Order: sequence, then C-alpha cells, then structure tokens
Amino acid sequence: MKAMKSALKFLSIIVILAVLPFVLRAPFLTHIGVMIGLYTTLALSMNLMLRIGQISFAHGAFMGLGAYGSAVLMMRLGLPFPAAFFGAAFGVTLLAWLVGQVFLRIRGVYFVLLTFAFGEIIVLMFIEWVSLFGGSNGLAGVPRPGLFGHEIQSRDGFYLLALALAAFAYASVRALYRSELGAVITSLDENEALTRSLGIDSRQYRLLTFCFSAFLVGMSGALYGHYLTLVTPEDYGFWVPVNLVVINVIGGGSHPLGSILGALLLVPLPEFLRDAKQYQVLLYGILLIFFLLFMPNGLYGVVEKFRRGRKGAAQ
Amino acid sequence: MFELAIKIAINGLTSSLVYILMALGFTLIFGIMRVINFAHGELYMVAAFLVYVLVGSLGWNYYLVVVLAAVALGLFGAVLERVLFRPFIGRELNGMIMALAISITLQATAFILFGPDEHSVPRPVSGVIQFGEVMVPRDRLAVGLMALLILGLFYLFMRYTKAGLAMRAVVQDEEIASIHGVRPKIIHPLAFGTGAMLAGFAGALMAPIYTVYPYMGSQPMLKAFIVVILGGLGSVPGAVLGGVVLGLTESVFATLINTTVATMVSFAIVVLILLVKPTGLLGR
Repeated sequence: MKAMKSALKFLSIIVILAVLPFVLRAPFLTHIGVMIGLYTTLALSMNLMLRIGQISFAHGAFMGLGAYGSAVLMMRLGLPFPAAFFGAAFGVTLLAWLVGQVFLRIRGVYFVLLTFAFGEIIVLMFIEWVSLFGGSNGLAGVPRPGLFGHEIQSRDGFYLLALALAAFAYASVRALYRSELGAVITSLDENEALTRSLGIDSRQYRLLTFCFSAFLVGMSGALYGHYLTLVTPEDYGFWVPVNLVVINVIGGGSHPLGSILGALLLVPLPEFLRDAKQYQVLLYGILLIFFLLFMPNGLYGVVEKFRRGRKGAAQ
Repeated sequence: MFELAIKIAINGLTSSLVYILMALGFTLIFGIMRVINFAHGELYMVAAFLVYVLVGSLGWNYYLVVVLAAVALGLFGAVLERVLFRPFIGRELNGMIMALAISITLQATAFILFGPDEHSVPRPVSGVIQFGEVMVPRDRLAVGLMALLILGLFYLFMRYTKAGLAMRAVVQDEEIASIHGVRPKIIHPLAFGTGAMLAGFAGALMAPIYTVYPYMGSQPMLKAFIVVILGGLGSVPGAVLGGVVLGLTESVFATLINTTVATMVSFAIVVLILLVKPTGLLGR
C-alpha cells in the first residue's frame, strides 16, 4: 500500500515535470531543465560510487566515451539513434566491466588516483586520434536523434528524453538501495570484512555497482553530445568527476534524493551567471568548503531534519 | 648534436628540480596527513602571483621576495591545516574533497583579481654563461642552483632536526610516534606548512622563467602527482628518484615523438605502478 502510494507520487511528479515546458513555454528554462536532467543522472552515477567508497575519476572519460561513441556510430556507421545511443552506453559498460576487474582491487585515494590517470589517458586519446575523434577541435555537427521516424529538433523533445533518463536513474538507484542487493553494497564501504565473512563475494558487487554507474554515465554522455551537437575533449576531463562530487556533497550523498537536490541547486548557477563564470566557480568552492565543514549531510540532511522536526511537533 | 643534448639535459634538469620541490611537499603532506592535496598547484600559483605583484609591480628585490613568498605560503599552509583540514583527520576522501574545494576557490580568486591573461615577471638575471662550447642561460642556472640549495636545506632539516625526526616518525607510524611524545596537533600544521612552503619556493622560482596566470598550477601539479606515484606516495627519497625518472623519460619522449604521447606514456606508467605496486618504486 505504502509502496504503491510512493510510486503514484513519483509518477505524478514525473507527469507534472513532463508537461511543465509546454505550459511555461520558456525555452531558456527548458534548456536548464535538460541540463538538470542530465546532471541528475550523472550525479546519481557518482552517488553509486560514493556508496561503495570508491570515487571514480574516470567518469569524465566514460561520459566522453558515451558522447563520442554515440556520435561516431551515427556519423561514421550511419546507425539509427537508438542503436547508437545504447551501443555507446553498453560499450562504456563493457569497458568498465573489463577495467573494473583489476581497478576495483585498489581502494581509497589510490583508486581515485588510478581512475584519474586512466581517464587522462582516454582524454589524450581523443586528442591524439584525429582521424576518428577529430583531435582538439572534436566532432562538430553531431546529428540530432531520431525516434520513431521523426527527428528530435526541439528543446522540448530533449527535455523529455533527459527527464526520462533522470527518472529511470533515480528509480533504479533508489530501488537498488532498498533491495537486499543495496544493503550488501552499502555494507561494502562500512564493514567489508564482516560482509565477506558471511560468504558474500564482495568484488562481484563492487563490479556490478561500477558497471551500472558507468552505464548511467555513458547514456547521459551520449545524450549530452547529441544535445550540444558538438563533442570536444576538454568537456570530459578532470572537472566532470569533480563537479559530480561537488553536487553530491552539497546535495547530500547519503540518499539519491541528495543528488537531485544538488543538481537543482548547482546546475542553474552557471546558466544564470554566464557573464561572471569565475564568480560562479568561486561560489562553488566556498559552498563546498562550507558544506564540508558545517553540513556534512548536505541539503538532504537539512530537509530531512526539517521533516522530522515537523513530524515530531504534530504528534 | 652534442650541444643539443646538453641543452635538453640542462632544461630537463632545471624542470626536474622544480618538480622535485613540488613533489616533496605533496608527498610530505600525504605521508603525514593522508590527504591528497589537490590544491598543491594553486599554492604554487599563489606564490608566483606574489612574485608578480611584489617584484613586477612594486619593484622589490627578487631574491628577498622568493624567501618572503615561501614563508608566506608556509604560514598559509599551516592555517589551512588548522582551519580546514583538521576536521577530516582519518577520513581520506573528505580531506581530498576539501583540497579540491580550496583549489577551486584559489583559482577563481586569482582569476577575479588578475584576469585570465598570462603575465610575465622581469628576470633577476639575464644573458648566458659559456662553458666551453655550451651556453647556459643564466636565469635557469640561478633557478637550478637555488632549487638545489633548498633541497639541501630540506634534507638537513628532515635528517638532523627534532621536528624532522618527528615528521619522519609520523610518516612511518603515527600511533607509535605519539606514544613517544610526538604531538600530531603540532606535526600536522608543521608538515602542511613545510609542504606549502616548498610549493611556494617552486612557484616563486619558476615565475620569471614561465608566465604567471591563474591556471599555471595545474601542469606542475600533474607532474608532482606523477613523480609521487612513481616514487611512492609518502616517500621522500622516492620523490627525488621519481623526479629524475620523469624528467628524463619526458624529455626523451617529447623529443622523439610528441608531448601528448609523452604524457600518455607517463600516465600509463602511473596506472601500471598503481596496479602492481601502489606504494611506488621506493615505498614500503
């Protein structure tokens, strides 16, 4: 009963969000909506990695592989959009599965450094392999996606795609955390030795989390490339994982809702402060320091505290 | 051909000395506090801007400013440790995120104050010195000598003073060290301050040789990072070895192929080392 109620609530929120641009008719807000949808998905993928205590700095490169992959499959092989999109996302997942076999043995800051170096190699490959990836200038004129025979040109169409992606990511991550599987995954960061003593092969669970995280990143990267119609190497470097960590810390990484709150707060900033980009970066830095020191549970922690306080007063 | 080789060697050697200064600070901070200091490049950048303002605009003596900038950065580092890093002792990932936050903040501040342009700083000495057939630019020679001097002083400090002994003890085992009366509350700011001071020296020394701009820290930071992984995170002799190895391989690959491939090769080595022996070539 309760599960049905919350599912209904979730669905009605999605429906309201889906109709919103057709009621408001504000293209700029729709654009921000697209970016929030994409970043929510990306942040949720990092939330999965935070859950197992292994921050992946290869996520920028995975996003880039999704973007380049889908663009190359459409432009060079002439595949239809859905095939290119899922082909790229599964390609990224496969790569994560392959490197995860060895990378996930490494823990803590060493894992961060390892994935960082691996990501840099991939980005340098985008620059060096000019015939396929177009070098430093990247790939221009990435085709618009076509679905069911008609091409998605408008922002509204992209908005619906990004919303669907974010809704899928949120629902699946939340369902995962609530399941028994999620309990195992959470335990990996908290007390892995205990988990293993129960006969659970912890590495398989880490690998599963890493692969699903990469799948989400690959899909959002692919959509991002088609939306911008331009894929350049510098969009997929060091700053992608940094931003995702920032979003999760400020939103509150302990719950998937935190990723959404973080994206809602931080993604519109650069769009509004376009002429003063450095002030926005400065604000990012200061907010991050503030949240780390004084609100370690992020915005979600604040919301939760408020909700609990209100419930307590009502009783 | 011989002359070219000597020239490459000299250019490579001065850069390696500066990489070593950066890497030593980076590895000291990690060894003692277990913090990956992503803001290390920004400390380098801040020192270079101090030189730009004090020497370039106000016309102070360059050598005096090098020392001043390094001391200022040392104090700044100690304050950063006390105020921002102390709450995260024992939580490596949060400490790393804090370092990222400091890096972002310092970079944006420099950008807002000085803009994106590359500034140049007047060189303290100019011209070349002739050793037989080989010509050595005086400014690079001066920087190399000063870097050597600082490395020597750092070695003496770590080897022969009580504070140095205490720091080496904490790198090996903080708990045992504290049983013997080493107080982490003093050692942590001292280590962060010393590390920041070394970054300050590096930045102040390189300011007249390269240009000064808000993102100048990312390249040396990347090099320090590679050097430290090569030598082993937290290992001081490893940082010296790593610096020499990187300086040599880089100049060879950069001359033979191109710089992108050179960087790819060094990252590939980093990945291999982290997978096979995460503690590095000289790590425990």
